[in-house]
Amino acid sequence: MAKPNSNTRTTKKAAAVSTLALAAATATRAYAQASGTLRVGLLGCGGRGNGAVRQHLSADRDTVVVAVADLFKNKAASTRDRLTKQFKGRVDIPNDRVFSGYDCHLKLAKCDADILLMATPPAFRGRQMLAAIKAGKNIFTEKPVATDPAGCRQVIEASEIAKKKGLAIVCGTQRRHEFNRVELMKRIHDGQMGELVGGQCYWYGRGIWYRGASQGMTEMDWQCNNWYHFTWLSGDQICEQHIHNIDIMNWCFQGPPVKIMAVGGRGCRDYSRQAKEVCKLFNKGSDKGWAKYNGNIWDHIFAEFEYANGARAISFSGHGPGSGRNGEKVVGTKGTSNCRDRIAGEKSWQYKGKRVNGQQQEHNDLIKSIRAGKPLNEGRRIAESTLTAIGARIAAYTGRNITWDWLMNQSKLDLVPPEERMKPGPGFFRPIPTGADPLV
Amino acid sequence: MVSKRNLTRRKFLTHSAVAGGALTLAGANVNLAAAPGGGTIGVGLVGCGKRGVAAAKNCVQSARGVKVVALADAFADAMSGARTALGVDQGKCFAGLDAYKKLLALDEVNLVILATPPVFRPVHFAAAVAKGKHVFLEAPVAICTAGVEMVIAASKAAAADKLAVVAGTQRRHDPAYVETMKRIHDGAIGEIVNAQCYCNLGGADPVKRRPGQSDVEWQIRNWPFFRWLSGDLIIARHAHNIDVINWAFNAIPEAVQGLSGRQYISGPEYGDVYDHFGTEITYANDVQTISTCRQIKGADVLVGERVFGTKGTSNCAGIIEGEKPWKYRGGPTNAYVQEHADMIASIRAGKPLNEGEQAAVSVRAAIMARVAGYSRRRFQRSWFDSKCKMNWLPDEALKLSGTRPVGSAISPASYKLPGLSGGGGKRRR
Repeated sequence: MAKPNSNTRTTKKAAAVSTLALAAATATRAYAQASGTLRVGLLGCGGRGNGAVRQHLSADRDTVVVAVADLFKNKAASTRDRLTKQFKGRVDIPNDRVFSGYDCHLKLAKCDADILLMATPPAFRGRQMLAAIKAGKNIFTEKPVATDPAGCRQVIEASEIAKKKGLAIVCGTQRRHEFNRVELMKRIHDGQMGELVGGQCYWYGRGIWYRGASQGMTEMDWQCNNWYHFTWLSGDQICEQHIHNIDIMNWCFQGPPVKIMAVGGRGCRDYSRQAKEVCKLFNKGSDKGWAKYNGNIWDHIFAEFEYANGARAISFSGHGPGSGRNGEKVVGTKGTSNCRDRIAGEKSWQYKGKRVNGQQQEHNDLIKSIRAGKPLNEGRRIAESTLTAIGARIAAYTGRNITWDWLMNQSKLDLVPPEERMKPGPGFFRPIPTGADPLV
Repeated sequence: MVSKRNLTRRKFLTHSAVAGGALTLAGANVNLAAAPGGGTIGVGLVGCGKRGVAAAKNCVQSARGVKVVALADAFADAMSGARTALGVDQGKCFAGLDAYKKLLALDEVNLVILATPPVFRPVHFAAAVAKGKHVFLEAPVAICTAGVEMVIAASKAAAADKLAVVAGTQRRHDPAYVETMKRIHDGAIGEIVNAQCYCNLGGADPVKRRPGQSDVEWQIRNWPFFRWLSGDLIIARHAHNIDVINWAFNAIPEAVQGLSGRQYISGPEYGDVYDHFGTEITYANDVQTISTCRQIKGADVLVGERVFGTKGTSNCAGIIEGEKPWKYRGGPTNAYVQEHADMIASIRAGKPLNEGEQAAVSVRAAIMARVAGYSRRRFQRSWFDSKCKMNWLPDEALKLSGTRPVGSAISPASYKLPGLSGGGGKRRR
């Protein structure tokens, strides 16, 4: 049930619509959402969060951003200022709805919004989604949605609650919303390529940013800001980035793999210069023990997915020198496909329809589904794709062959510190379990 | 694959019995055993480690009239066990890096088994052929492109001289594999569209260095962990499996790209090799396949091959599933014995097998995959064959007392592809 909009906190137009809805005495959430202004909150004011909010505002004319939240106050405030300037009449964020700090997601969940856009580091997504869904929000979430099996289970739980409450969850795996791929997958699933027996997916590219520390930051602040480099925060590159391609493989095969084998390592990620500076800042000028500030994610993982019918697919991911590769291919008994717009083989096919920007379309689809009272719910699917990437990472780190059943039902791996441990102070550094350690 | 007859042991025994005693005198340069039906075959074993001794035993077991008559090894102590086990005269046991030359000089040696660390194989092979010996080459037959070329040239010379050359890729002699491959090549699983091969092992223990051992001596004793000796993990262990996939396709790869490294092994005792290779190997018609190998303590073991066709799948080793299911019904065969039986039968039949070139070409695919792992570059075989030359053949000045610091593992960040400007050859190993 939607809370009626409060006059003090909305635009006149929104208030008018809201009043109308109430006047019609059909103030169900579905009705209000179908015709009224949708109030939007942004959680995570980094590059992707800012991108998502722009795309979201372009998706529907009757949405208004009412709150922003970020761990860092300056990021939240500057995002508010920028949006207010750029989207006149679409942004209404008074100071008391600019949230910051480690509990900013809890404050945001309490605020009066219909939709939350989530773009914080993946580690926190499960708990943030649960809080948001319990507070009755629809969700757009960036991928991936977790860094460990425990986090994936939280997302599935949130997704189940969302289903019961009629709330939408759409995820930023934008390829799922591209018309060409949707049309292609229909054909693949209809058997136009015969039985699928193999596939490949790749994301191997150059390195990424490394964010140094600045005065006034605690170690934990710095770590959360430089999140990509820590497995517990980003899930490693295979999870953070390659998930897009893995999700396509799972889409082709209509589910996650049943078994995963992988090899990998960290050969060329060297941030020693920056890491020593960070070390000095947190250790009274000494760079002794700088290595932990280098981060612990790997730079390459080569995995094999075994799908339910026995088919084997390659997952190829990492950062570093050499030849970049990004994309997918799937192989059937009667043809192959680039997983984008083409089938080559007995029944060749080429997509000729309209092309859309998936990152825009996913927001269009989200709002449309809310307004139609048929909320999309991609929660379980994105949790499964996230878990696929996590499984490949665990297989590579430990040298063990991982089964889906173990991953989904038995693994106790829970990398993210509990909520009460998340506060300004010392960072969180975890050794990576190897083949010599018991599998958790 | 070089065409060959897969003679059964029974057939060959009959054959050899019939031909028994048909010994003819031959000139000094003619290998006695090369004559059809020939008499006793004298075997010289070069490299008396575990694999070498096992190979010599397998060879003796494989046929009547086969006797190990001479041994060579870099180290005298390594030979003592072998000498007792194989019953070789003390006077026919030679130690040192050039011991193989003394062994090859013996007329009573008709056939040599080459089982030293792989780096020496091409040189030993060429010398053996020059001396008119039949050769059994343990796999891998080479670790660098120069070695591959050398093996191919020596194989051609062997063919001209009617000498047998068999490579220790034992799966090629395993009836379960042979029969499966026949069917795959006949189209039993349709066109091959996907394949995998693995040599994922657990941890391996290095040989500890004893006081007084020189760098070179210790490294040769601990050869699997040194690139210059073993060619790295993918060559030393995994080339077998890649060979099976080449066999299934009846082709060698068109392109490679890999992700490889040294993650869990460290310290000088583990030398400078990688502990894992993951390679996408692409065959003609843009068919991608998986190749992985690793040697990491606690890791799960997985060794084998698999192919997917448009009409079925196979483990390459006796099982075909799909439209035309089939199972190998023959009894279990010891392929390690069979490869010697096939070789000796071929010698006695006067139709010597020659697998040298096929084995060399196949191992070149593994070398290509290794280079892909070192460089993280994707490249085509055509480029590799024309541009990418590397010479890891043993230094002629190599001495057992030599100094050779343990190098570091290759970093893809600084590795220069041989063939690209700034890369190349001996410097890079």
